[in-house]
Amino acid sequence: MIEMIKVGRSYLPDIQALTDISFAVATGEMFFLIGRSGAGKTTLLKLICNMETPTNGLIEVAGYNINKLKGKKLAFLRQKIGVAYQDFKLLSDRTVAENIAISMEVSYKKPQAINQRVRDLLDQLQLVNKHDTLTCELSRGEQQRVTLARSVANSPRLILVDEPTGNLDASTTERVMELLTRSNKAGATIVIATHDESIYRGSNKRVMELRDGKIHSLARSNH
Amino acid sequence: MNFWFTVFRQAGRNLRQTWASQLMTFLTVSLSVLIFAFFSLVYTNMLGAGSRLNEDLRLVVYLDEEPGPEMQEQLRRKIKKFDDVEEIRFISRIDAYYRFADQLGKDSDVLNDIPEDFLPASIEIIPMKSLRGYNQVKLFSEYLASLPGTEKVQYGQEWVERFYYFTKLLTIVVMLSGMLLILTAVFMVAYTIRLTIMNRQDELELLKLVGATNSYIRTPFLLEGILQGFMGSIIGMSALYALFRWISFHFTGPGLLNLFQFNFFPPIVILGIIFSSICLCSYGSYTSIQKFLKM
Repeated sequence: MIEMIKVGRSYLPDIQALTDISFAVATGEMFFLIGRSGAGKTTLLKLICNMETPTNGLIEVAGYNINKLKGKKLAFLRQKIGVAYQDFKLLSDRTVAENIAISMEVSYKKPQAINQRVRDLLDQLQLVNKHDTLTCELSRGEQQRVTLARSVANSPRLILVDEPTGNLDASTTERVMELLTRSNKAGATIVIATHDESIYRGSNKRVMELRDGKIHSLARSNH
Repeated sequence: MNFWFTVFRQAGRNLRQTWASQLMTFLTVSLSVLIFAFFSLVYTNMLGAGSRLNEDLRLVVYLDEEPGPEMQEQLRRKIKKFDDVEEIRFISRIDAYYRFADQLGKDSDVLNDIPEDFLPASIEIIPMKSLRGYNQVKLFSEYLASLPGTEKVQYGQEWVERFYYFTKLLTIVVMLSGMLLILTAVFMVAYTIRLTIMNRQDELELLKLVGATNSYIRTPFLLEGILQGFMGSIIGMSALYALFRWISFHFTGPGLLNLFQFNFFPPIVILGIIFSSICLCSYGSYTSIQKFLKM
């Protein structure tokens, strides 16, 4: 699903955020990206969804060189990628339901199907009573869950999640991981950038650690 | 959910969120259309009045003595040498006297003690319709003045000249005001759409990230431009029509305005103005959103 070959990303004047990143994520895999703050996790996710372009190297998503895609082709690929951003990117003047629906509206889903999907997701994330609440009135933990709901709402083939449990308690973290696992079992490839060791420990999933913008280790988590 | 449903909903949301600036733009477009259409209406009516005046155009050549039949034939040939004319009529001194008496009507007895040959003989010339431009008539009159035996040539020079320069000035005013108002309308629409875009930058960026196509993002803004152009021109033209009715109602009857016979635009011109307004506003909107999409 994702292939990165010798990818680098630098910022002016001379900040090297990522250097020589090469790895692949198979279709249907759940993949963890770990590392300290500033290690390059968020930059890597942004490169995968084409929010940023690499300084060098090749990135392929679903067989497409994502940096070469433009116009409709890029839009259609993005409809198949769900992203839960670390800064949430919620529309503060819209309700929770409207924020989640936005990712389905762009692919012209029927209103009834959108409503049903929104209610299901809110139920899974214990946010049913927040359906008509403006997102600016939510706590950070609730905003985080809305972001996550929006990323999985359109049943994307690839889900990129940046720190999904940063503001959540243990039981809500469990619910969030259940939701992601369900999407994964339904066929979605999932890449999770996290600090939270508890969500990947003992999962037998592949974990890649970044340090100072470089791959430090890439192995299965079985301990 | 189909494309148009989403697009209309989005356009409605834009209008609700930025109604104050939308209203200002709408008023600007209305006012621009009103001012431009007003000058155009005055201009077309002046041209109409000019062509009606031209219908009655005749040149009168006053002669120093009455021409005999042979001389009349010579003069006729000389006149036609310049250009073909519709009609050449010789007016003898006696005919001129009786015409004048007719014009005086019941006051014609003032002429009782005046000899019947006190008026000069003249030639009335009605030029061809193709020879009715101001400069052509002027050249023709100069030619007639140079004919032997001519004392004076008259065709209401001052009036024709003033009218000619007035319509020329009006042409410049219409063209300048048209250009300025077109620029104003396009700028205002582009500026309003830019404000809306800035106001909703986060949302538009998110739409791009979740896979909205460019037409999904662009079409609601184009609809706004079309709506502003349509509504603005409808209101502008309605206001002009109300003004036209008011002038027609208050200034009917004998007088200068009655001479001009004010007419409103024919339907095809009204449709043309509305269509142009829609095109210009859509263009303003398109340029703004294209700038954002290229970012």
